[in-house]
Amino acid sequence: MKQYFLKRVLAACVALFLILTLAFMVVRLMPGSVYDDPNLPPAAVAMLEQKAHLDKPLLTQYGYFLKGIITENDWGTSVKVEPGIPAFEILKRQIPISLFVNLMSLLIALPIGILAGTAAAIKKNTMIDHAISFLVILGISIPSFVFASLLQYFCGFKWEWFPILYEPSADMAGQLHSLMLPIIALSLSPIATITRYLRGELIEVLDSEYMTLACTKGLPHYKATTRHAFRNASLPLIHVVIPMFANVLGGSMVIERMFSIPGVGGTMIKSINQTDYSLTVATLIFYALISVLTAFVVDILLGIVDPRVRFGGENA
Amino acid sequence: MTKKADMTEQETVLEVKDLRVSFKSIAGKVQAVRGVNFTLKKGETIAIVGESGSGKSVSIKTIMGILSRNAVIEEGSILYEGHDLTKITEKEYEEIRGKKIGLVFQDPLSSLNPLMKIGHQIAEVYTQNYKIPKAEAKKRALAIMADVGIPNPELRYNQYPFQFSGGMRQRIVIAIALANDPDILICDEPTTALDVTVQAKILQLIKKIKNERGISVIFITHDLGVVANIADRVYVMYAGKIVEQGTCEEVFLDAKHPYTWALLTSIPDMKSKESLLAIPGTPPNMIHPPKGDAFAARNRYAMKIDLKEEPPMFQVSSTHYAATWLLHPYAPPCEPPKELKQRVEEMKREAGLL
Repeated sequence: MKQYFLKRVLAACVALFLILTLAFMVVRLMPGSVYDDPNLPPAAVAMLEQKAHLDKPLLTQYGYFLKGIITENDWGTSVKVEPGIPAFEILKRQIPISLFVNLMSLLIALPIGILAGTAAAIKKNTMIDHAISFLVILGISIPSFVFASLLQYFCGFKWEWFPILYEPSADMAGQLHSLMLPIIALSLSPIATITRYLRGELIEVLDSEYMTLACTKGLPHYKATTRHAFRNASLPLIHVVIPMFANVLGGSMVIERMFSIPGVGGTMIKSINQTDYSLTVATLIFYALISVLTAFVVDILLGIVDPRVRFGGENA
Repeated sequence: MTKKADMTEQETVLEVKDLRVSFKSIAGKVQAVRGVNFTLKKGETIAIVGESGSGKSVSIKTIMGILSRNAVIEEGSILYEGHDLTKITEKEYEEIRGKKIGLVFQDPLSSLNPLMKIGHQIAEVYTQNYKIPKAEAKKRALAIMADVGIPNPELRYNQYPFQFSGGMRQRIVIAIALANDPDILICDEPTTALDVTVQAKILQLIKKIKNERGISVIFITHDLGVVANIADRVYVMYAGKIVEQGTCEEVFLDAKHPYTWALLTSIPDMKSKESLLAIPGTPPNMIHPPKGDAFAARNRYAMKIDLKEEPPMFQVSSTHYAATWLLHPYAPPCEPPKELKQRVEEMKREAGLL
């Protein structure tokens, strides 16, 4: 297990480094520059570029960039979105609210998805199953921003249950209240995905020989299901749910803008539009970090739950 | 022969009477089992032999109460300890399934939970079914693992199925079935998925268990070679019906049904130089079972009546019955194929009867 763990850590580090490099290169190779302002005299542009090392070759710039990160946790400074403020500080302020919205939507999605998936699997090919499967198709095929605008129109504007936009000045309860609509909008697609996966996995496991054996060894059906089916069906769910976290973050870029939530998503879009290099690279790396971390967590969890993975290195 | 006389006096533990099971499908009703009768006596091993699709496994699943949802028990009864298993509730079934009637599956590779320690899968029987404390359950599980011939049970207890070979897994499945201390052990093709050398060991194990514990065994197989080793009585099944039944000697040495002849001549062995005889054709479509004798279309001894009317069970001896018109007094005299005769001679010589 220790060896397995170390291997995963190493793999995650390598992946992060590669992404770091790629993010930096891709952003720097984009045409245009922050200082492409016709109103600025060329001398001023040259001076600014020199200060930001933009006049040096790309590899040297990359060296400065790495050195900054490693020695003083310096991820560059925003030039246009919030001029003069270090990118790290901007992200530090925005990450909590983005994470909160995403985690909440997943926390809501998990129990609902598991319940619906289990119900559909156990009542396979009945009206309940068909109804759930129909809703699942809706949930998967309709993007979250469509749900978001429907929610804003009905629950926010027509019935006035929730505020239409995020209210940063309200107290804790008020803030939470105003975040409900984006959280619900973001949770619908994960609910559908979890339901669909769990239904499929559970149906397969319930039909398996070892479930029959669990029954013929004298266990009542519900005990056989809880002891043998659930754990085995939840295993592939790890593959889906944890990476979903990264996906939800992606979806939330749009949702954050719609509800004017001051999260990472909005900043990313702004920084790309305004060619704010450092901020773009920093947000890109934030998203990459989340993805690598989720993949790492999936691997470790699978190792814990599935003995075949855990012993794989020595026995396969 | 005294052994056999004893057997008939022993009490019957399981009796299947005129069992009919069919499956609903889009194409129509599949009549998988069409009136099967058999009895199992205490301490006896019976074998049910037949091709794939002859209804062996469906009969067993009906006894265990694990038929799929689209199956219907049309008729008949399964009598066990005064209960009719086709009529009792699921709650009552939970007291019988596994606890009184154990089942060993065909494929040990997929019948164990891949994510649960081997030991826990056995100990679970004690803790869940009999509320035995964990420490005691572990002790008993280790004992039964040793009983079924698992070397080093202490170490094996904490391993997972993927760390076991096929034969060892089948031993574990047998151990799980035995942990309940059942009266009846049903083995559904337990050696089909295993190597020949492992097969022999598993058969020995089942024999040993049966003798030590005095349980009754129903052995399902398509391999007559396996049957000869283990069974007291043999039922030959074809197209959802029993076509011949008798003691092991009667069925092997004095078979009456052309289907049994065909099965016997198709066993590969080391001695026979002549080519193996395959049974021509395939089993009939059970959505529309043929009129008359279901085997008639593949039977080179078929007569006109076989296509019109189903043969009844003709009695050959007090234990030997066969459902073929060839046994009717009006039927022309008919000899089994000469290949079979040679084989029977061979078998008799081996058994020291000649």
